[in-house]
Amino acid sequence: MLKTVLRTPLSTLIRKTLAQSISIQLLEENVTQLQNQPHFYTVYRFNSNERTRVFRNPQIHFIRNSELLGNSSGFCSSGSIDETSCCWNCKAQSPFLICESCGSVQPVDHSVDYFRIFGLERKFDIEDGSLEGMYKNWQKKLHPDLVHTKSKEEREYAAEQSARVIDAYTTLRKPLSRAIYLMRLEGIEVDEEQTVSEPELLGEIMEIREAVEEAADSQALNKIQSQMEEKLKHWSNFFANAFGRKFFDEALKSIQRMTYYHRVNEEIVKKL
Amino acid sequence: MSEQTGYTVASDTEIAIGIDIGTFQCRLAVWNGSQVELIRNTRNQKLMKSYVTFSDESPSPVGGVSNQLSHEYEMLSGATIFNMKRLIGRLDTDPIVSKASKTLPFLIQTLGIGVRPFIAALVNNIWRSTTPEEVLAIYLLELKALAEARLKRPVRDVVLTVPAAFSRFQLVRIARSCAMAGLHVLRLMPEPAAVALLYAQQQMPKNMGDSGSEKIGLIFNMGAGYCDVAVIATAGGVSQMKGLAGSSIGGEDLLQNTMHWLVPEMDSLFSSHGLEEIKSMGILRVATQDAIHQLSSQASVQIDIDLGNGTRICRVIDVEEFEEINKDVFEKCVSLITQCLRDSKVVKAEYIDDVILVGGCSSIPKIRQIVTGICKRSETEIYSGINPMEAAVRGAALEGALASGVNDPLGNLDLLTIQVNAHSIGVRANRNTFVPIIDRNTTLPARREMVFTTAHENQTEALIVVYEEVDDANQLLLGYFKVVGIPAARSGVPEISVCMDIDASNMLRVMAGVIMPGSGPRKPVVPLMEVRMPTADGGHGLCADALNKILGSNLDLVCPHGKLNT
Repeated sequence: MLKTVLRTPLSTLIRKTLAQSISIQLLEENVTQLQNQPHFYTVYRFNSNERTRVFRNPQIHFIRNSELLGNSSGFCSSGSIDETSCCWNCKAQSPFLICESCGSVQPVDHSVDYFRIFGLERKFDIEDGSLEGMYKNWQKKLHPDLVHTKSKEEREYAAEQSARVIDAYTTLRKPLSRAIYLMRLEGIEVDEEQTVSEPELLGEIMEIREAVEEAADSQALNKIQSQMEEKLKHWSNFFANAFGRKFFDEALKSIQRMTYYHRVNEEIVKKL
Repeated sequence: MSEQTGYTVASDTEIAIGIDIGTFQCRLAVWNGSQVELIRNTRNQKLMKSYVTFSDESPSPVGGVSNQLSHEYEMLSGATIFNMKRLIGRLDTDPIVSKASKTLPFLIQTLGIGVRPFIAALVNNIWRSTTPEEVLAIYLLELKALAEARLKRPVRDVVLTVPAAFSRFQLVRIARSCAMAGLHVLRLMPEPAAVALLYAQQQMPKNMGDSGSEKIGLIFNMGAGYCDVAVIATAGGVSQMKGLAGSSIGGEDLLQNTMHWLVPEMDSLFSSHGLEEIKSMGILRVATQDAIHQLSSQASVQIDIDLGNGTRICRVIDVEEFEEINKDVFEKCVSLITQCLRDSKVVKAEYIDDVILVGGCSSIPKIRQIVTGICKRSETEIYSGINPMEAAVRGAALEGALASGVNDPLGNLDLLTIQVNAHSIGVRANRNTFVPIIDRNTTLPARREMVFTTAHENQTEALIVVYEEVDDANQLLLGYFKVVGIPAARSGVPEISVCMDIDASNMLRVMAGVIMPGSGPRKPVVPLMEVRMPTADGGHGLCADALNKILGSNLDLVCPHGKLNT
C-alpha cells in the first residue's frame, strides 16, 4: 500500500554554490519559487544509476518522465535552457554540452537523452568500450575541477553537466539500467519492486536462492555466478530483440528476470 | 636548482602549492611552469619530519621544517608533539588515541567518554596543553614561510593530500589548521587521487589527439599513519576512480606492536609520564624504529638497549617474528585491497595493468608480498615510474596547477582525476538503523535522494540524523536537524524527502522537505531545509547518546517500504 501512496516526487533545485545565497526551487507541474533570485536556476534531476536501491525511489520516475516529455522549459522560470539553440557566451549556433567555437560550458538541456550525449542510437546493444573514451573526453571538458577560473555561472553549468554525464555513463554502462532507461524513454516505467506472479519464475528463484545459501565454498558460488551471467546474457539478448520490435510486454518480462539474476549475483559477491 | 628555472608563470595567477603532510614526514612541491618541482628546505632536504617542539627559549615553537635535531632523542623528550595527523579530529574513545596515549612520549589524556583528548607538551617540567590542530597550524606556518622564501612570492593557495580514511571531522580540522596558518585550501584530495593524477600524466599518449587505450591501475599507499587503496581506470590523461578504501593503519602500528613485543609491560611502565619514563620510552622507540628499518633489508636484527630504569632489553627479532607480531596490520592490508577490487568490479587480478606501490611502508617486504600476491605478479613488475616517497606531493602540485587555472601549451596539464567518495553517508531511520543514502565509491559530484515517512501517528516533527560510515559498523554522527511543521496525519502518510549532495570539492549538504500526498499542486508543506555537514563538533558520540535519551523514538523516520538493502 505504502508504495502507491508514496509514489510522488519531491524534487528540489539547489544551486551549486555555497550556503550564503541558496535558492531552492521546486520542480513540479507548477513551479513554486521559494526564494527569488535574479538569475538562473539549475535543474537537478535525481539520478538513478548504480544501485537498484536508487531506482526504488518513485520520484525519480516522475522527473525522468517530465524530462523526457520535453517539459524541461517549464522547470526553469528564468533559466536559459530555452536558448540552447545558441551559445550563451558567443551566440554560436547549436552548442552541445559545450560550445564548439568558444568552449563555454552550456546549461543542461534535458531534452538531450543519455544516448545522444554519447553519440549513440537509442538501442540496447552498444559496443564494448564505446562509452569510456567519450565519457572521459566529456569530463575533461566539463568536470568542475577543470573550470576553477571560469565565471561562477559557468562553473555551475559545469557541475550540472558533469554530474549528468556521470549519470548517463553509469546508466548506459550496465545492461540492466540501460534497459530500464530505454523503456523509460518509451514512456514505460519499470517497477523493480513488483512482485513475481509467474509460478515458473518464482520456483526458479527459490531454487537459485537455496543453491546460493547452501553453497559450500567459493567454487560453488562461482559456478552459480557464471550460470547467472549466462542467464543475464540470454535475457539481455531477449530484451534487445523484444525492444527492437517494440514488444514492450516481452521487454518488461526480460527486465524482471534480469533484475532477479542481477540480485543473485550481488548476493554472491557479498558472500564471496 | 629552483633559482635558475624561475617562477615567472605565477605573475598573474598564483599557482597553488602541493603539500603532502604525512604522519611522519612532509613534502612540498609546486608546478614551476613546465613540471613539478619539490621544494627543499634550508638544509637541502625534500623530506621534512612532521613535528613541533615547544620550549621556553625560543619565542615560538619550532617545527621539523626549519629545526635541525642534534639527535632523534630530542624529538622524544616530551616537549615535541608529533603524529598530529593520526590524532587530529579524533575523540578519546577512539582506539587509535588510547593506543597513542600509551606509546607517545608527550601527554595524551583520555577519559574515554567521547570528548576530545587532552594533549600537552612538557616545557620546563610543566605539561602545557595544546591541540593537534594548533600543532599542525604551527607546522604549516613553517612550510608556508619556506615556500615563500623559495618561490620569492607570497603563498596562500594550497592543495593538501589527505588519507582516504579521513572522516569529515578530520577534514574539517585539517582545513581549520590551514586557515590558522593563513593558507587557503583549494582542495583536500585523497592521497590516491593525487597519485592517480600523476599516473595519468605519465600515461599520457605522446601524440596529441590519440586517447590511448585504457589502463587499470591499483594504487596501494601506506605511510606511518594511514593506508589507502584505489583502483583507477586511466586513459587520455583522465583517471576515473573505480574504488577507494582506506584505514587508519600504518608504520606507527607496526612500531607500537613491536615495542609491545619487546616490552610487554610497557603500558603500565610508562603510564605516569615521569621524566625518566619519557626517556626510556624514547630509547625504546628509536631502537624499535631502527630495527624495523633494518628488517626491510636483512633477515634478523639484534636489539640491545638499556632503558635506564634497570631494565635492559637484549633480543633478536627476525622477519618471521616481525610479521607474526603485526599479523593484524597485514591482514587489514589484504582485506582493504580485496574489498577495493571487489567494489571496483575488477574480478580478475590479471585485468590490472599497473600495480603502483607508494608511501613510507612500501619498502617493507611483507607489504610488497601482499600487494604483488593479490595482483598475481612478481615484485619486479611493480610500477617503477613513480618515486614512492614523492608520488602524493607531486600529484598535489599538479592539482594545484590545475586548480589555479594554469595552462600548459605542451598539454602536460591536460589531466583529471574523477573521484569517488570513500565513506557511505546516510541517516538514522527504522529505529536506530543506519540507512545509507550516498554509498561509498559513488562518483563525485553526486546527489541522491530517498523518501522516508513518519513512524508515529500525528507526528509533526522528524529528526534527520546524519551519519558517515567510516568503517564497517562504525558510524560517526555528522550532524542533525529537525524537520518541523509536518501536518498531522497517520503514520506512513507524510513524505519526508532527504537529499544528499556532495560537490566536486567534497562539500556535503543535506536537504530535507515534506510533501503530503494528495490531489492538487504538489509543493512542500514547509520551506525546505538545507544543512552543510558536519554540524556536530567533537563529542559527537555524546550527542548521539543525548539525542537517544532525550528524544527517544518520538521523531523517528522510517523507510516507506519498511525494509532495507533488499
